[in-house]
Amino acid sequence: MGFDAMANDASAHASNPKDAAKKKRGNRSAKLKQCKLDARREQWLSQVKSNKDGKITSTCAVSPSVASPHSHPPLSQTGKDGAETRRRREEDERDDSSLHEMSDLDSPTHSPTSNASANPSRNAQSIINILSSSGSSIGSSSRSVSDEEEEEAGKRDQGEDGGVLDDWEAVADALTAGNDPGGQESGPQMAQADPVASPGSADVGPCRRASTHPEPVCRAPRAWRPDDAFRPQSLPSISKQRSFTMGMERHWGGPSQKGILSLPSSCPICCEDLDSTDSSFLPCSCGFRLCLFCHKRILEADGRCPGCRKQYDTAPGGIDGNGGAVPLLPLRLYRSCSMSSRY
Amino acid sequence: MQASRARLFKEYKEVQREKSADPDIQLICDDSNIFKWTALIKGPSETPYEGGVFQLAFAIPEQYPLLPPQVRFLTKIFHPNVHFKTGEICLDILKNAWSPAWTLQSVCRAIIALMAHPEADSPLNCDSGNLLRSGDIRGYRSMARMYTRLAAMPKKG
Repeated sequence: MGFDAMANDASAHASNPKDAAKKKRGNRSAKLKQCKLDARREQWLSQVKSNKDGKITSTCAVSPSVASPHSHPPLSQTGKDGAETRRRREEDERDDSSLHEMSDLDSPTHSPTSNASANPSRNAQSIINILSSSGSSIGSSSRSVSDEEEEEAGKRDQGEDGGVLDDWEAVADALTAGNDPGGQESGPQMAQADPVASPGSADVGPCRRASTHPEPVCRAPRAWRPDDAFRPQSLPSISKQRSFTMGMERHWGGPSQKGILSLPSSCPICCEDLDSTDSSFLPCSCGFRLCLFCHKRILEADGRCPGCRKQYDTAPGGIDGNGGAVPLLPLRLYRSCSMSSRY
Repeated sequence: MQASRARLFKEYKEVQREKSADPDIQLICDDSNIFKWTALIKGPSETPYEGGVFQLAFAIPEQYPLLPPQVRFLTKIFHPNVHFKTGEICLDILKNAWSPAWTLQSVCRAIIALMAHPEADSPLNCDSGNLLRSGDIRGYRSMARMYTRLAAMPKKG
């Protein structure tokens, strides 16, 4: 194998990030289908890891200049994902540098791993031929794709952490509008699970697609709105939190006034603790709460609400009729109070 | 019985906790009987009672707080709504307008408000009421001031 073969090998290897990109993309569509982001992300991480390892063992040996397309990991990576990817790349580079030394001494065909990877490299060369027929600069395109993937990974990390998530609906639309059958889960996942077995023809199609369609769909970092009907149910640590706070507000936002009328933990009359029945007992539209026992005793006596001194309405419909409209301002105040106490 | 005791105990703890919450009111529970309380209230400013300290006696019924506490002035006071001899107070919240939501502290506040705003149309002290109803504000003020100095202020010398 001469210098051209080596260059071809190098660029063939450079197309491997595109494979990864394709697989990630397919994986993302699988996520779209399953709507279980967290589990899928873990799976994705482990798969990418195994994929990278497999790649190192299979093709790095014959291509010393492999590190060039992705030897500059983006510095602004944040999040676990980016860090892990960077670490893996450093491993990659280390392997490559050691192989550099080796290839200085020996010809690539005499390197210990070259025999094992001869067949993949030849397959990769065929890939190169196909790719170069598309007329695009392979190295730069693969570089850009890998960078985009990095960005997307970082974005997705940010999205999961900060609440801004990709618009899966847009992804779905673009995937169905495009020519992508790789969105099906089985194909790319099989390739990911066993990248060494058949890196040739099985990956040719995804490679080309990845280079010709550099994923225009994930550019818009639109977030799920909490009220979005298509929002995956497993996404929402945020939505769960939100519903929780809303529940809190609903819980605390009952009719309440300042001082003695603010939601008491004990009956303001007898100072006994309010149980759940008492807490939900709202005998008067003024919002004054008291325990059922004291309410009964008051009804037996003068029968007036201790809060507003109006006669207790014995018909429950009358209570509900004008109840709830009174304490709008205290409700708002109470919400802010609960906010301040939470943070 | 038990409810009133628990309620009074809570009020006692509240008073102990917020001793300086209202500097004009000092509520003291009897050492041996939680149904007997004493309160010291300061006469409101810009009234004839300013500078005086008035002692109130609380007798709390067992049905408290469904029934109001019985409150009377131990300190002599010239006020249309306070009986001059017995110290009985004519105040609606201590009668028919009582609410179980009121506390001894709020009763004291209501009494301070009553001192600042006498209601001459329902007098227990007819002399004071007549002075006010006849428009002799100056006469009322001077009488009330005199009795405040006599009874509610520390003796000079």
